[in-house]
Amino acid sequence: MVIGSARTLLALTGIHPRSEKTAQATQDWERQRINDRALREQFDDDVGALIRLQESLGFDFVSDGLLTTEWQDLLTPLVEGVKGVKKGPLVRWFNTNTFYYVPVVDGPLSVDGGKLAKRLTNSSIRSSSKAVLVDPLTFAECSEDRHYGSREKLIFAYCDCVVAPLARGLEKAGVGCLQFSAPSLVARFRGERWRDTELSPVSEGLRSALKGSRIRSAYHTFFGDAEPYFSFLLDSLPTDDIGFDLTETNAARISSSGKGIVAGVADARSSFVEEPRQLLARLGDLQGKTKELTLAPSCDLRYIPRIVADQKLRNLARARRALS
Amino acid sequence: MTDHRRFPTQEIGSLPKFSWRVKPFRSIAIQDSDIASARDWGKRLGVKEAGALVKLLKKRSGFTGRERQRIVDYSMLYALGMQETAGSGTRDGRGIDIVWSGEQARTEMYETPVSNIGGFEFIGKVRAFDNKYWREASIRKRPEFLNNYHLDEFRFVRRHTRRGVKVPITDAITIMAWSDHFHYSRKWAGADLPPSRRNFEARREFTLDLARVIRRVIQGLVSGGAKDIQIDIPAATQYQTVDDAKLVAESFNETTKGVDARFSVHSCFPPRLGYALLFPYILDMKNCSRFSFEYANRDSFGRGTTSASRPGYADLALFKEYGYEGELGLGVVHVHTDKLPSAATVRDRILYAEKATGLGPEKIFPTPDCGLRTRGPEIAYSMLGLVVDGARAARESLR
Repeated sequence: MVIGSARTLLALTGIHPRSEKTAQATQDWERQRINDRALREQFDDDVGALIRLQESLGFDFVSDGLLTTEWQDLLTPLVEGVKGVKKGPLVRWFNTNTFYYVPVVDGPLSVDGGKLAKRLTNSSIRSSSKAVLVDPLTFAECSEDRHYGSREKLIFAYCDCVVAPLARGLEKAGVGCLQFSAPSLVARFRGERWRDTELSPVSEGLRSALKGSRIRSAYHTFFGDAEPYFSFLLDSLPTDDIGFDLTETNAARISSSGKGIVAGVADARSSFVEEPRQLLARLGDLQGKTKELTLAPSCDLRYIPRIVADQKLRNLARARRALS
Repeated sequence: MTDHRRFPTQEIGSLPKFSWRVKPFRSIAIQDSDIASARDWGKRLGVKEAGALVKLLKKRSGFTGRERQRIVDYSMLYALGMQETAGSGTRDGRGIDIVWSGEQARTEMYETPVSNIGGFEFIGKVRAFDNKYWREASIRKRPEFLNNYHLDEFRFVRRHTRRGVKVPITDAITIMAWSDHFHYSRKWAGADLPPSRRNFEARREFTLDLARVIRRVIQGLVSGGAKDIQIDIPAATQYQTVDDAKLVAESFNETTKGVDARFSVHSCFPPRLGYALLFPYILDMKNCSRFSFEYANRDSFGRGTTSASRPGYADLALFKEYGYEGELGLGVVHVHTDKLPSAATVRDRILYAEKATGLGPEKIFPTPDCGLRTRGPEIAYSMLGLVVDGARAARESLR
């Protein structure tokens, strides 16, 4: 949809909450009250409902909401699908009441891009789909490195050995967009700032990994204020889109750019369902600063119950209509 | 004779619920296997009332409210039995020293308080990790005290054990962090502050309002005879700013203000940075005699008492660095796996902690990392036994 000077899109940004029925099914399955097939069918129903909702609302990139047992969190598919990584201790995921198993890197990273791409995508999506992967900095920060010896080497290895083959695999599978979820850039312990020299491996690594790839790419920051990194995000990164959590970042401070902007206007950490005018208030004048604007949740919606999350999607669609 | 003044053992709170405890509350009929479990475990744990429970369970379905309450009571007896008989060796050396009900009378540590404090509305399930969820509530108005939701549970436990009793209570920070902030977010939405400051002020006000309600619960317990209260703050490390670390201490002080009891704090599963983000601010908790933290989750399963062999316990250095001289609850068994360490590994974890902190064996309380409610009964019982056996082995090593 073209509105004013900017084309406006709609997309999800990560893991969607499971429905109450699916949550119950996973617990029944753990207690052996239902079998694998019944659990899979329940997930399929859940994914189907979410895809239908996005398609009916006119989402431009449709996601399966990562509604599978493989996507317990953003790192588990890497722990299970990348050679050289094993499962470590359970720790807290940033400032949330959710947890992940630390990826312990104890050997050279390697991956079958096609296989991992299959893990990250859902063949039942008929329209353009979106895959999600943690960005190199978040992977390095959340992992325990016992092999590479420095953050920089691990970042380059992740880009070369995981991102590059995966991007090729996703492109081959017809996926429309690959989003890098990047909380580590903006949600650092006690607000410590990254130095430019610490960030340059991320942009260099991604540039190399995405070279020659035609898949649309996005780098989405959340859980913190991105303002200290505007220059890095808008000038150095090679991705097509840059995403901001606009419950944390002041949209008015974002400068014009040739990149597309993913505007995380729907607060994925609060059950308060914002009206379109409230969503657009968070947007400020961003519409005039980019050629392509994607309205989206601030981060994964898994932090709120499903019924609330789905309502937020409906209001994002209403906000887009209100913009026109 | 085992000297339990050295490395006294404690439970953190929850234990698994048997199927016969759960089914009557979900209107699921009791099966033969449930009855067999009640009979077999009753015998194993020496629960005298097991026969009466089995007789009751033979009703299978349609339990009255009173009968369901009896089932909860029996369940607490089984939990006490598990704690009091855990471990190997002689009768004298067996069992956990400081016990609780296994939280059998609670739905779980969040839902029970939130169901009994005014102002909350449940909005749906949210997933914490794997297939573990909590039923999230949204705060719609200022929280208010409705009733003392732990008093009956305490009285029951006090009547049925001669061991030390410690009452775990979910604190204000955790209830705030696991809830939707609806009322407070709206209240602060118009404040002329940066978004992060506005969010912090909203959660601070919410937390301190809750702390006052929880203080009333504790006052009631203390009036009823409780002496040892554990303030459960699993969310202590959720918000990671300096202001939030200070708020953890402020909330504790507000909760315990003017109450004459012995207080301890439990927390667990911090981010990768560990407990460092709470220091030194938690040392401002007045009247806190013991910090009980999870460590074994991050440790190796191998033996050894060097820092290299005990990577999960690196954060113990913080206590020494800040000159802490109080007591330490030491998580020695990882509770989110069925893989069991050896008793020798548990012993080494305890001995390493004694050496690393210099606190002395009277001040170190071996414990599971966290509540054991996510394990099956067999594994949970084995884990309690490892705490007991590991502590005994550590005492023997120091002889």
